[in-house]
Amino acid sequence: MDSISQSDVIQILKMVEESHTDELHLEMGDLKLTIKRSIALASPSGSTPSVHTESRPPATNDAVEVEGRMPSPVAAAAAENRDGLTAIRASMLGTFYKSPKPGEPPFVEVGQLITAEDTVCIIEVMKLFSTIKAGLNGRIAEVCVQDGELVEFDQTLFWLEEIDEMDVFATVKSS
Amino acid sequence: MKKISRVLIANRGEIAVRIIRACREIGIETILAVSQADKESLPAKMADRSICIGPPAPAQSYLKVDTIIAAALGTGSDAIHPGYGFLAEQPKFPRACAEHGLIFIGPHAENIRQMGDKLLARQVARSVGIPMIPGSELVTDHEEALKTADTIGYPVLLKASAGGGGKGMKIVQKPQELKTAFAEASAEARSAFGDDRMYMEKLIANARHIEIQIMGDSHGNFVHLFERDCSLQRRYQKLVEESPSTAVNPELREKICRAALDIARNIKYENAGTVEFILDQDQNQFYFLEMNTRIQVEHPVTEIVTGTDLVQEQFHIAVGEPLSFKQEDIKLKGHAVECRINAESPDKGFMPNPGLLTQWQPREGANIRIDTHCFPGYFVPPYYDSLLAKVITIGPDRSQAIGRMKGVLDGFTYGGLDTNIPFHRMLMDKKDYLQGNINTRWVENILAEEKK
Repeated sequence: MDSISQSDVIQILKMVEESHTDELHLEMGDLKLTIKRSIALASPSGSTPSVHTESRPPATNDAVEVEGRMPSPVAAAAAENRDGLTAIRASMLGTFYKSPKPGEPPFVEVGQLITAEDTVCIIEVMKLFSTIKAGLNGRIAEVCVQDGELVEFDQTLFWLEEIDEMDVFATVKSS
Repeated sequence: MKKISRVLIANRGEIAVRIIRACREIGIETILAVSQADKESLPAKMADRSICIGPPAPAQSYLKVDTIIAAALGTGSDAIHPGYGFLAEQPKFPRACAEHGLIFIGPHAENIRQMGDKLLARQVARSVGIPMIPGSELVTDHEEALKTADTIGYPVLLKASAGGGGKGMKIVQKPQELKTAFAEASAEARSAFGDDRMYMEKLIANARHIEIQIMGDSHGNFVHLFERDCSLQRRYQKLVEESPSTAVNPELREKICRAALDIARNIKYENAGTVEFILDQDQNQFYFLEMNTRIQVEHPVTEIVTGTDLVQEQFHIAVGEPLSFKQEDIKLKGHAVECRINAESPDKGFMPNPGLLTQWQPREGANIRIDTHCFPGYFVPPYYDSLLAKVITIGPDRSQAIGRMKGVLDGFTYGGLDTNIPFHRMLMDKKDYLQGNINTRWVENILAEEKK
């Protein structure tokens, strides 16, 4: 292997994320790759994997575990753009919830700046609640779904105005 | 009585089209669960609404029980039709439906469980006195298999208890082959079904595959709808089906249909099912093979010769209505032949051949029925089986039905990909086929001859 593709890098990042490694150096010919895990800046979930599944009160008290094999419900960022906006799409079919619990403020609102690691909603399939991460940095331009609505796989949930990573971190930090 | 006003169809392709047609006639709204690859499919356009349940891979869409149940509940459906394949014969599917107050258009979970386990199914058949192919129940290792094979005589057939579609099945000609064959077959069964229990049968060399369509309702009524002959197979996949069978005379027909009903009655079977038999043509003796607890691909053959609509009947039975016909109302009339048209290349070892159908225009006519989900410009996705269409022709007798089939196959306009239409057309000219000198190995023999 004499070159390394973007998907290889993503693969390596995933492996690092799932391991207890804090730092990784890789050298192949002219290529040098250094990955450092920093103290969580924007994500409240720190270095834990980006998928959280929980039982959502008052539905049930049974703790529901996500199987290791389940695809990670990070919202599918679509290639499809609308007026320079990018869609955040549903990674599974289920019931859309905009807030952590009924009556609580929504995870995100129009105009809000978010990072890729931020939770944007919960999707429920048969009492299994999966928190959905944005997967992209940016500003929420539109919420396309009503609370409690059934969403299809790949349905557009939000329109996002993508913003450069550093800008978002800076804004989130200063706010 | 229960009522269905909206059904979710958990399937795709031609059977989804077939179910939607049935629902239109009886005034049931249809919701089609589609994978991402099927969003623009013909049934998706025909259904009142379609809902995307996941990515193209069946394991992430058509096989996800929870997602499909959530889709049914979320769309306000009160029933689910499973079609064939996918979850149709998984007991967990009707169970999940029951837990969520959804009507499952098919048999009870217990019926599916009993008949899905081939060893259990054989027990049921034996208990009601159905002839069984000489052979064994469970064989645990090749030592035991050797002993059993000695008593029943070679060649023998090793089969997986959880089997289906020829997986975990091996023909053994002589004792020296048994050890390897046993290891291979059980490994195949373990990987395909997660269950490596094996049993053994004497191989019937000159066999016909004869199956009986049955239906049962919740009031204890059972009817049979005569036989289908599905002896033309390639690698245990059916290619041509017909009804009635040239190998079944009235006396045999009565016996074999009664045997099928005995099994159905014994397990209090509800809804549409098929009991499959092997007919040993040399001994004129039939044996129980297995029972399929679903609507089958080849059901149109029976619908045509009996003048029934089996899919509509499935809905009636599911809500607790009695069967709409009695045994004495069902008469065999005429002859029907069905060819399964697949996207595969006969010249390249029947390699599956997905892709864009640039042209698609089957011939239409009064004595022709085409069940298909294809249209010009349809992209045949690579994720699912290769069935494009079922061509069924009808005639007052067999030779006229076959004559019409030749005409349909000759006039079939299609383009963009290979199909097995030329292969079917070739079969329809074979003297042995026309005279009814066929068995379950006949197609493979024809292929071996063609290679020479």
